[in-house]
Amino acid sequence: MKKIAVCYKWVLNDADIRVNEKSRELDLEKSKPQINEYDRNGLETGVKLKALFPEAELVGVTCGPDVEPSTKDALSRGPDTVYFLNDAALAEADSTTTSKVLAGIVRHLGNVDVVICSEGSSDVYAQQNGPRLAALLGYPSVSYVSAVSVDGDVLTLDRKLEQGTETVTVKAPVVISVSPDVCDAPIPSVKQILGAKKKPAHALTLADAGLSADAVKPLITVNSVKAPLSSRKAVNLGEDVPEAVAKLVKQLAGEGLL
Amino acid sequence: MRDIWIIAENLPWAGTLAAGAASIGKGAKIVAFVNGDEAEAKAVIAQGAAEAFYLPLPAAAPWEGYAPALAEKAKADKPALILLSTSRRCRDVAAQLAAVLDAPCFSEGKNIVLTESGASVETMLYGGLAVKSSSVSAETVLVTVGAKDFEPLPADASRSGPVGTLPLAAGPVAVVGRKPRAAQTVDLAAAVKVVGVGRGVAEEGDLAIVRDLAEALGAEVGCSRPIAEFFKWMPEECYIGISGQQIKPQLYVAVGISGQAQHYFGIRDAKTIVSINKDKESLMNQNADYFIAADWKAVVPELIKAVRGA
Repeated sequence: MKKIAVCYKWVLNDADIRVNEKSRELDLEKSKPQINEYDRNGLETGVKLKALFPEAELVGVTCGPDVEPSTKDALSRGPDTVYFLNDAALAEADSTTTSKVLAGIVRHLGNVDVVICSEGSSDVYAQQNGPRLAALLGYPSVSYVSAVSVDGDVLTLDRKLEQGTETVTVKAPVVISVSPDVCDAPIPSVKQILGAKKKPAHALTLADAGLSADAVKPLITVNSVKAPLSSRKAVNLGEDVPEAVAKLVKQLAGEGLL
Repeated sequence: MRDIWIIAENLPWAGTLAAGAASIGKGAKIVAFVNGDEAEAKAVIAQGAAEAFYLPLPAAAPWEGYAPALAEKAKADKPALILLSTSRRCRDVAAQLAAVLDAPCFSEGKNIVLTESGASVETMLYGGLAVKSSSVSAETVLVTVGAKDFEPLPADASRSGPVGTLPLAAGPVAVVGRKPRAAQTVDLAAAVKVVGVGRGVAEEGDLAIVRDLAEALGAEVGCSRPIAEFFKWMPEECYIGISGQQIKPQLYVAVGISGQAQHYFGIRDAKTIVSINKDKESLMNQNADYFIAADWKAVVPELIKAVRGA
């Protein structure tokens, strides 16, 4: 195994997204981008795979309208290098477009043995990029992977499905989409964060990925993005603990919940 | 009008998708593909499909191996819409088909409307924090649909139609074993009351206090994703959220949970939500029915006493 690529998405941290109570629109101002949590397990899967093939190159891959700031964070999580494609045209990219760009980057890299995606992203959770990428590259797709082992160029993978676990074998090259339980995603150490500054990040263009500007035109027209009306009352029972608890117990008893 | 396809994980889900196709397509021919045998295909016809293909689970290959044959047929037949189950196998097939057809695919679509040139669909953003309404122009639009999103039509055994299957070409992925899901120790999905543990409970030893609260309430204990997947304090089946358990208890008490949208997705059908989180502005507090913005370690012992005394 010579080259392992891990795809990741740079997404807003939804814990800091607020809803404008009047317009029901999302207030994204306080929300900072971060590496999609699911992809952190994907990056660590790459690190574990590379540990078995120390001569292999581990590459982080991403694309989007403003992904350059992601590279340091990604590199602190293990890849030797990151290839990113920053293009404002990707602001409204759906899985159709994103998977084409990722496939273009993987082709640009050449001879990638294993492409690792995660199950989905915390913003849209469409769960499409892995299998789409496989179909575009002509690689087999193995999705919902919860365990990985390797013997030479043959991977043995556990897939966690609704009915149970399916164990499969497949020869590289392959695209695998890993579930969060595939491995832990450790928080990068200070040493790793400092080390990331010395690793290279390579900017690519659409032309590098073999795509024209037309090929990434948004396919989908977004009519609206609105938060549904919350039916929850969000009653603040106060900060005086005994008093708040007494109010809560009375309320729950009244609703027949105790 | 062009055909509507349905591709289903199992027969009950095929019934859901057939009902969806009938209500969206208003007279379009429904062609069904269902995981199963000839009997399943016939049953889907009774539930509204005009034509049905059965795709039996191969012993030594993944079911997703039908994707190339489905893609070939879709290229030739050009259905206007393909509805698929939101199951994991069907999601994989949906994405592969979409890539080969160069078509848009909406995951967990709602309010699907066919338009002159394509479709409009609603999808969820940030685990349900917002709903995105989109339109797309495309020859074929794919949408994955939940198991209960449409009420299946009553089966009409007098309906008939052609039944067939599709070839399964030898693929590169070999199945070497299948193991059914182990029986769960807790059934959170069926629990009447649930107490959820979040990262605010900073030490594993403190879980005992939360368990005492659950015992006092007669509740099961669940948790947010980091507790199960990162800290491993609780088994994975206890994790509540978009990629974990989705629960619908009468009462949900969130202890030290920040309330990220992914978690909220798993509890949105709870009747009453109580949050104990010292950050007044936390999403969990703001999306609860009642909240106490104080240190959970002060609140929970007090609450246990009060519940036991109630």
